[in-house]
Amino acid sequence: MNRKEAPEYLQAKDLPLILPEEIELQNGVRLFWMKDVKDDSVKMEVLWDAGTKHQQKSLQASFTNKLLLSGSKERSAKQISEALDYYGGYVQKELDKDHAGISVYGLNEHIADIFGIIQNALATVSFEENELQKELSIGKNRFKVDTQKVNILSRRAFTKQLFGEDAPYGQVAELADFEQLKREDLLAYYDRFYYQSPVIFLTGNVSQAFIEVLRTWSVNFRQEEIVMKKQQFSPTIGRVDVPKKEALQSAIRIGRLMFDKKHEDYYPFQLLNTIFGGYFGSRLMTNIREDKGYTYGVGSGMSVLADAGYLFVATEVGSDVKELAVKEIYHEMQRLQTELIPYEELEKVKNYMLGEFQRNADGPLSMMEMFKNIYFNELPKTYYSDFIQAIHQVTPEQLRTLAEKYLQQDEMLEVIAG
Amino acid sequence: MIKFETFTLPNGLKVIFHPDKTTPMAVVNVIYNVGARDENENRTGFAHLFEHLMFGGSKHIPNFDAPLQLAGGECNAFTNNDITNYYDILPVQNFETALWLESDRMLELAFTPKSLEVQRNVVIEEFKQRYLNQPYGDVWLELRPMIYKTHPYKWATIGKNIEQIAGASMEDVKGFFYKHYSPENATLVIGGNLESAEVKAKVEKWFGDIPARERYLRNLPIEPPQKEAREKIIEREVPSDAIYLAFRMAKKTDPEFYTADLVSDILGSGNSSRLYENLITEKKILTQVSAYVTGGWEDGLIVISGHLQDEVSLEKAEEEIWAELDKIKATPIDKRELTKVKNKFKTVKVFSEQPILNRVMKLALFDQMGTLDEVNDELSRYDAVSSEDIHQFVNTKMQKENSTTLKIKAKS
Repeated sequence: MNRKEAPEYLQAKDLPLILPEEIELQNGVRLFWMKDVKDDSVKMEVLWDAGTKHQQKSLQASFTNKLLLSGSKERSAKQISEALDYYGGYVQKELDKDHAGISVYGLNEHIADIFGIIQNALATVSFEENELQKELSIGKNRFKVDTQKVNILSRRAFTKQLFGEDAPYGQVAELADFEQLKREDLLAYYDRFYYQSPVIFLTGNVSQAFIEVLRTWSVNFRQEEIVMKKQQFSPTIGRVDVPKKEALQSAIRIGRLMFDKKHEDYYPFQLLNTIFGGYFGSRLMTNIREDKGYTYGVGSGMSVLADAGYLFVATEVGSDVKELAVKEIYHEMQRLQTELIPYEELEKVKNYMLGEFQRNADGPLSMMEMFKNIYFNELPKTYYSDFIQAIHQVTPEQLRTLAEKYLQQDEMLEVIAG
Repeated sequence: MIKFETFTLPNGLKVIFHPDKTTPMAVVNVIYNVGARDENENRTGFAHLFEHLMFGGSKHIPNFDAPLQLAGGECNAFTNNDITNYYDILPVQNFETALWLESDRMLELAFTPKSLEVQRNVVIEEFKQRYLNQPYGDVWLELRPMIYKTHPYKWATIGKNIEQIAGASMEDVKGFFYKHYSPENATLVIGGNLESAEVKAKVEKWFGDIPARERYLRNLPIEPPQKEAREKIIEREVPSDAIYLAFRMAKKTDPEFYTADLVSDILGSGNSSRLYENLITEKKILTQVSAYVTGGWEDGLIVISGHLQDEVSLEKAEEEIWAELDKIKATPIDKRELTKVKNKFKTVKVFSEQPILNRVMKLALFDQMGTLDEVNDELSRYDAVSSEDIHQFVNTKMQKENSTTLKIKAKS
């Protein structure tokens, strides 16, 4: 046995991805059902086009979402949460810039009871003033805690400057906004956005009878499309400092607007991003953490929203080395533009990504997450197998060209907090 | 139900195999029976720093991560006060790659000065990022030494301070490795769509020739029972005042743990819990509350914490929390409330045992606690908790003389 020699390995085979079955309910409500689940778990996610980009007033979308189960004509907030807990149900509120809704977790034996409570709570939700005041005081406290954290400060400034403060995506809440929000704002938002047909992602081996319950529920919604003009952005380029006194670490966030997942550069760019900062062995980690010891962690990623895609590098580093860390981040961008990626590194990253696809597709809940990506980005069902094929074919020359195209220092927004 | 079989190599390494035919991934997990509790009091934070060094190359393999990534795998590790745990997740056909890597670093580390120098800095940045540069981040650095006077639980896993981490030497590293990272001080757990015979053959191939080393016998000072209420007020740059109450209780393997866990749920888990309902919604004393058990392997804590509304004083908040405790002590909880917290646990358990990684890790932790045969008994343990058990627990453990209170005053 030679310990210096690695055992043979085989590249991950094709992705064994199972997609959910689509069931058309009433009034345009779409249900995607993953029923091949081997235990008693049920997760149901209900999402509306009710994300923050639709709001007329700061905090309107998030507080409407927070207060969805805060009391109805029949039950108080207390009764609702007690009943959900009694049946072992967990509810998580979901909110991003595009969508909002709830995720419900429970066991098969109680899922009909759990859903019954939620259905009832939503049907006549009353948005009581005292519940709003309670959530506002909780929210205000959390806001104050968050805005003492350098990573949050850098993220807020980055969002504002990347999209521009005129664009809905560029909005961030301020402390004063908590004083402006009124009960009427929530009622109006609920009426406008939560009566349109939602999409439901159901993962669990539920009975056909439960599907019929959902079908009956779906009659309450109206089929209409919220038409919103695609946003225009006015990104800032260059340095933005967010001072925070006595910070031991500074949060760095560098990035730029990109493209959506249908763009021809999307697949190869994901490979480039993985090499750059997308995994533990990335160029950024190897340099800034494993060689220099400036940080506990550094990474890069690409996010794609309905109206925009963007690239970001994020890290928290000792305040005394922040300028050095920024320099190294650009140095790694530069290297990708001038040097060809060695064959061994490319092979390693391709294999790592194939393994990552398998990890991300392990189990029904994970597969549903992969499907949601296909659904919301309007991608073909062959998206993941296409992705894998595309990765195999990417060459070092192609990656260098992509780096020249997208990783130019003078096109980056650079935020440093602390 | 988590299925498993076990065998032990002549060098003392215990091996557990968990078959799972439904996943394309394999997990290789090595848990070492060493944590912050085993540290020298002047070199705290060392077990965790050492965990970082385990990725800095071993005797025959200069880089741990790269060969694993080449085989489509990913890895991570964590350290706490009791143990250190390492895991690799990779496509099942490549599970031998992880055995090769894990066995070589159990055999011997490369002990490179560069790795020590860099990881000292990385861990110091981690210390700042997670404990010093966050509001309320240093709470446990303050609380632990108030609660524990003799037992090594008096320091946090990250260490007492940055200086002790900065002072770690290569001599410390070598000594720690040979003392704690031996086959008989570890458990190897493998999960995946594999055959038992194959697992056994490959484990013997890679781990069989690691020499047995002297067994480390833990002999830690016992923390005497607490007999007086302890309290401290500190001032910090935080947005609002906060209060933390900790009560000593039994260790993780004691049946009392299950009772205490349900008590913490009744008090502070979710919007229908007593503290949320009464102190946030009704009385508007707090804006955030939580209650939980720490599950230490030698000694446990049940903890209540809250952030205060701006106009409420720390004294008032403390008084109101005690009033809630007095209520639960006076009136036995009814069947519905008990069933509620048990049902919540059932849901959590089913979801938490879905990923193969969680099942494998659970086997590793239970084995090192010495309770592997109880790994599938959790549901019945929670089910067995009665209203009387809860009554008994809150009346004996959640007493003033067994409490430690830390108040954080916001600097104005």
